[in-house]
Amino acid sequence: MYGWIWRHLPGPFAVKLTIAVVLLLGIVALLMFVVFPWVEPRLWFNNVSVQ
Amino acid sequence: MATHEGPGDRRQYSGDPYRPRARPGQGGERPRPPMSRQQPGGQPPRRPRPPGDRPTGERPRPPVDRRRYTGPDLSNEETVIFEAVGKTGTATKSKDKPPLPPLGKGGVAVRTVGELLITAGLVVLLFMVYELYVTDLFSAEKQAAASNTLDGDWAKERTTHAGPADGEAFARIHIPTFGADFNFTIQEGTSDAALEVGPGHYKGTAMPGERGNFAIAGHRVGKGAPFNDLDSLTSCDQVVIETQTDFFVYKVLPYDDEMANWESGKGADPKCKGVSTLRKPGEPGGGPYSKTFGRKVVLPSQGDAVNPVPFVRPDKLPDASNTVQLLTLTTCHPQFSARERLIITSVLTQQVPKTQVKDYTDLMKKLGGR
Repeated sequence: MYGWIWRHLPGPFAVKLTIAVVLLLGIVALLMFVVFPWVEPRLWFNNVSVQ
Repeated sequence: MATHEGPGDRRQYSGDPYRPRARPGQGGERPRPPMSRQQPGGQPPRRPRPPGDRPTGERPRPPVDRRRYTGPDLSNEETVIFEAVGKTGTATKSKDKPPLPPLGKGGVAVRTVGELLITAGLVVLLFMVYELYVTDLFSAEKQAAASNTLDGDWAKERTTHAGPADGEAFARIHIPTFGADFNFTIQEGTSDAALEVGPGHYKGTAMPGERGNFAIAGHRVGKGAPFNDLDSLTSCDQVVIETQTDFFVYKVLPYDDEMANWESGKGADPKCKGVSTLRKPGEPGGGPYSKTFGRKVVLPSQGDAVNPVPFVRPDKLPDASNTVQLLTLTTCHPQFSARERLIITSVLTQQVPKTQVKDYTDLMKKLGGR
């Protein structure tokens, strides 16, 4: 999978590396700002109140 | 060509997707790491030499193309392993790995699944980083905003209306044990949104200074973790609730093991002034507060921990006006788990109007430290 992605990135090594880093940062940001805040209230382990 | 190639040339993986551009005659290399494929373009393909051709310790080194590959020079190791395999045809040395068969479709599928699993593991790790650290950053921002709004509201000397709206900050909690600057605004309600800002007040429970049980919940992990160190509180530690008009000084009640000899033991300490066991000697079990301790671990379902008299149904109380002013803090327990709840209960010992003290620092000075 990662090999496939790497081979399909265009340009020489430096360009490939830059694109890869940008892609990685984009995915991390997507997780941090969209996915995790959405998932979190659906999980059970951070309840602090009694009911 | 086949006449030139030794058995070791089986290690040329034309089917390996990592090496799609493998040329024939490059059989002198191992398939991994991929950087080993960085051979100088014009270098003639290396062939296994006949035995005895190469004196030990002297190996021809192809010039390394620094422009393309700047990592450590692995060409020596590569050659040794290849020749050991190439000469014998089998991996006889224990440290040599047997030659890997080329990856078929199934192999590629297995590898892809493996990569996906590793990725999933990394995502879970990242989620932990988010929970433990990133939510702190988000919450700190919200807490600062709420604190500013609260200060603004108080400065306007707006008279307190019927009750705070959901999620609205209406008081501030200080715990001197956690440092002079430990303070969080208290929001109305215990919804996720309210608790993201700071501790939240259980709706329907008493307000600061009122008879009954002023109960608040707070996160222990992430989201600012206001109640992270709640289990390091001991009996008689102060918890100060600041409202628009007053400071309410609560002190943590005796712990289970201190109950028996409270009066003669720790209760005699001046810092425990105003703290009693709340037990009534004449009544069975010590009266309505027989189940109330400074620290208690309960199940999440035990909502009666925040009742006006903890663990006693309100209609079972003989005399509601006979209740004392309690403060209950709840958080998850043990840390990083939601299996149980940690309950810290304290009792009101002092009410200081803000007309008598300048601010919280002044109050602490007047109270004489602890």
